Amino acid sequence: MRPVSPTKRRIALSSLVILLFGFSAQMEAQVYGTSSHTVTVTVATINVVQVSSGSVSLSIIGAGVPAGQDQMTAVDQTTNLLWGVNSSTKKITVSTNLAAPTFTLNVLALNPTQGTAAPEVTLSTVATDFLLNIGRSSGTCTLRYTGIALASQGMGTDTHTITFTVATQ
Amino acid sequence: MGNGDDRYYSLRLEVRAFIGVCILLATGLTTDLRAQAIAVQGGNPTLSITTAVAGGEPIPVVNVATSLRYQRRFVTQKITVATVCPSQSFILKVVATNVTSGVAQPEVTLTNGMLAVDLVRSIPWGFFNFATCILQYTASATFAQGNSADLGNDGHTVTYTIVRQ
Repeated sequence: MRPVSPTKRRIALSSLVILLFGFSAQMEAQVYGTSSHTVTVTVATINVVQVSSGSVSLSIIGAGVPAGQDQMTAVDQTTNLLWGVNSSTKKITVSTNLAAPTFTLNVLALNPTQGTAAPEVTLSTVATDFLLNIGRSSGTCTLRYTGIALASQGMGTDTHTITFTVATQ
Repeated sequence: MGNGDDRYYSLRLEVRAFIGVCILLATGLTTDLRAQAIAVQGGNPTLSITTAVAGGEPIPVVNVATSLRYQRRFVTQKITVATVCPSQSFILKVVATNVTSGVAQPEVTLTNGMLAVDLVRSIPWGFFNFATCILQYTASATFAQGNSADLGNDGHTVTYTIVRQ
């Protein structure tokens, strides 16, 4: 058997080293690298409330009221209230800008999808509870307005701007 | 010394030089390339949800300010994504867009402690040239999920890994 020259031995050794490097890189190479960063998500406190229509008109014309009865009413439930609240312990209140109305106007939350309807509210300039315990929710309810006039109050027109407000309960 | 000896020593020198260069390349290059195999660029984004529709839900926010730069190799690769976000309250999703090499996968919902999910697949082999994609993050929340004032922000450490496919 011919002896292997030192040069060939070195070449063989070096090749082996290169191969080992290659192999080790390849073996680890299931994962070639990673990189990270931080992504922050913030959610502001959001309270939104909206009525489905801009105006409602109730006309009390006395039709069908028996003679001798003083009180006449008109009812409208064609509009809805929509809200979205992402804080707990919240409620919705209602008020009007009309300080001295001639006639009475009541409002009630019908069939709320979240929370509890307060008893029917007679509108005044003082914010009054309308819907309680709405919590963190998105929901709707029907607005039932009832206009009440007494014959003795005569004729006239009341124009209310009604405000619904999300408040802390 | 005859011509034979000169040629012999010259050959030995060339072989040694070649081997030296190979070793340098093998060590230096692999180390360097490994460090740059993938990099998130554009910093640490913040997505703030501030508006909502009454009767609906808060409006999602999209961020495309960051991107990935990754290196092609002599193998087919893919990029996976995972996140760590203790006490996660809100929803964060990511999808790769404008992918210059590879195939973007469907949007991934990032959930604390999730297993790595494919973000880009079938990155074809190449001679260590770089490719990029935009990271499109979408943050969303429902009213029922609350807000940061009560619950704190969600801080995700999102990790991208490039692996052999």
